[in-house]
Amino acid sequence: MLDLFLAMMKEEWRIHSTIFGSLSFALFPVMICGIAFMASFLIPIIQASLPPGYLTLITHGSYLMLGVMVGGFGLLGSEVMNRRFGQVSLLAYSARSLPIRETTIFLTFVVKDTVYYFLLWVLPFGFGYILASPFTGVPLLSALLLLTTLSLSFLFGLSGIFLLSSVYARSTTVFWLLLIILFTGIGGTVLVTAINPALFFPPLLIYNSPSVASFLLAVLILVLLFSIATLLFDPISPGSAKRYPNAFTPLSGRLSFLPDSPLVAKDLLDLFRSGSLIGQTIFSFILPLVVIWFFLSLLEGFLPPQGLIFLVAITTGIIASTMYTWVTMFDTFGPYACLPIDVSTIIAGKLTTCGILQMIPAIFIATVAILSGDVIYLIPSVVLSLSVSFYATAVMVWLSGLSPNVLVYDVKVLAAYLFLVGIAIALLTAAGYSNPDYAYLAVLLAIPSWCFIRRGRAWWNASEPEGF
Amino acid sequence: MPPVIRATDLVKDYGDLRAVDSVSLDVEEGALFGLLGPNGSGKTTMIKMLTGQVKPTAGSAAVLGIDAVADPVLVRRMIGIIPEQETPPSFLSAMEYLAFVGAVRNIPDCEGKADWWFDFLDFADKKDVLCKDLSRGTRQKLMFAQAFIHEPALALIDEPLINFDPVMQDLVKEYMAEYVQKGRTIFLSTHILEVAEEICSDIAILHKGKLLHFGPVAELIEQGEDLPSFFLSLVRKGDHA
Ligand SMILES: Nc1ncnc2c1ncn2[C@@H]1O[C@H](COP(=O)(O)OP(=O)(O)O)[C@@H](O)[C@H]1O
Ligand SMILES: [Mg+2]
Repeated sequence: MLDLFLAMMKEEWRIHSTIFGSLSFALFPVMICGIAFMASFLIPIIQASLPPGYLTLITHGSYLMLGVMVGGFGLLGSEVMNRRFGQVSLLAYSARSLPIRETTIFLTFVVKDTVYYFLLWVLPFGFGYILASPFTGVPLLSALLLLTTLSLSFLFGLSGIFLLSSVYARSTTVFWLLLIILFTGIGGTVLVTAINPALFFPPLLIYNSPSVASFLLAVLILVLLFSIATLLFDPISPGSAKRYPNAFTPLSGRLSFLPDSPLVAKDLLDLFRSGSLIGQTIFSFILPLVVIWFFLSLLEGFLPPQGLIFLVAITTGIIASTMYTWVTMFDTFGPYACLPIDVSTIIAGKLTTCGILQMIPAIFIATVAILSGDVIYLIPSVVLSLSVSFYATAVMVWLSGLSPNVLVYDVKVLAAYLFLVGIAIALLTAAGYSNPDYAYLAVLLAIPSWCFIRRGRAWWNASEPEGF
Repeated sequence: MPPVIRATDLVKDYGDLRAVDSVSLDVEEGALFGLLGPNGSGKTTMIKMLTGQVKPTAGSAAVLGIDAVADPVLVRRMIGIIPEQETPPSFLSAMEYLAFVGAVRNIPDCEGKADWWFDFLDFADKKDVLCKDLSRGTRQKLMFAQAFIHEPALALIDEPLINFDPVMQDLVKEYMAEYVQKGRTIFLSTHILEVAEEICSDIAILHKGKLLHFGPVAELIEQGEDLPSFFLSLVRKGDHA
């Protein structure tokens, strides 16, 4: 298993580093570290405006969300593993030709992915904070403690979602039952004890009163979650002989008012039939957003009345823009290479598909607005959400064409993305906070978005389409 | 009558590797043209340049009189292609894939034509199965059908026979021979020399990216050469050069 693990790590490194050079790739954690280092100096300023403990709460919430977004391993079928990096034949896919059980290969894959995210995101961030500790006056020991509990938060998110997604892949009924039990449990605790349930989150408990015993207990829970998830995981289902009567022709006909309707119909069928439309919506969209909504809602008292819903709307927009990665992840250039279609047209088709999928964030944010009693802000929130999503997608198209999954690890690309999206978010937040009506200014983002898409399509069309 | 394909000094470099080295050739209308060469000799790269899938490092390619570098989409609209790897989109059924091709290419009555192909290549029982669940041979049938379903004036096909059993190979060879009789052109790459000798009207031999031989098959036969030994001696000479 160790050999296989090392081979997979090497392969991952090779894939990423050949695509944009080892140096650029190796700089990625350095940049994350740098961002954390600089952010550390903002802490005293932010802390001054919040009651004690809230900032750590939010940070732990963000790490939990990162884990949640990464942890949907239970949904991985052979198709996804095969296509995650284009047509490259991954070791993970060679299960059938190697004398290794598929579960072993899968587990190695999960461990590899976890380690990989850990090395790229979690550790560098904590390390930047530790580096800054002599300057910010935070004792080294408490910086180390924070690194530990943040790592635990990440792992809790990851293994919790791993478990849920494995259950989901086995039986959706059990999955929904489990979710209902979970939410009524949390809701019940709030009603009975009137204590913020986030404070029962094990990493936070450890952070607030560190002890070896509670640390070991948390590790035990993690191991338990992870083991059950692994036991439940269903090894890659073999090909089925199931029959599908032609659904393409009617669907493409119904969509014929759209440009590139055949491409859109094909993408929608791919998404539906691979099970990823519902799976991704639950695990890469709704669950992370519910987590962040929950943690953000603790800030409610310190924000203007429209503050919370606008913050959730903007976050929803950002996460909705990752739907562009859903529609590119399952595709290779192969099927298009022999047809009279160029990259620019494929991008346009993918964008149209994403446009249809934007129903999901629109419904989500409208529901949140209603549930949280912010109905008067429903329309500006939806506008905010969709504009941000469109803009962030456009930036992604401009920077990475049809390979957003891979290029997000390129330092230059990621820096440009964070900068461009960051500016827009900062401006919108400031505007929306000063006056709720200014949220409508978000539609102005359509102008730069349109330019980014135009330039991106022309640029990626001119470069060689191979390897997407 | 201008040639259907005219390649002039085509070069393709992948980094330090010269995959195709200054190849010029003309293919006339009605030819069943065979591009032969050992593995890695540059056949696939040639086809990709001629169909506008990769840009040549130098040189030019005109296909049906259209510049393949300047207008690759128009070239692909006019021709049919079988790519080297048979990768139709995975979650469409075989029938849906052909309908998809028909929608992109604006083929009238595509489903009727598709049904003819399912019968002809004997895989009607698989037409509602998802492409990802098809065997390699069946996928190759599907790719063959999508390349010819719009009856293009020219088809460029990369190793079309490797996944077929002998019966299917025979059927497909016959189809191609009849296809060019109607004045249309086929450009195929293969390393199966017997196939080339049997059905091709003209051949080119590539080795390490260089064009070693180019001419009608009849000429070789007149000179008393048989293709396999001619090919092997050329390639061995090339290895020593
Ligand atoms: N995308 C690519 N990047 C780098 N090298 C390539 C690429 N495609 C082909 N090659 C190399 O170019 C040479 C010719 O390959 P190819 O055209 O596939 O040959 P053939 O089809 O005759 O087997 C080979 O040495 C191959 O390794
Ligand atoms: Mg080849």
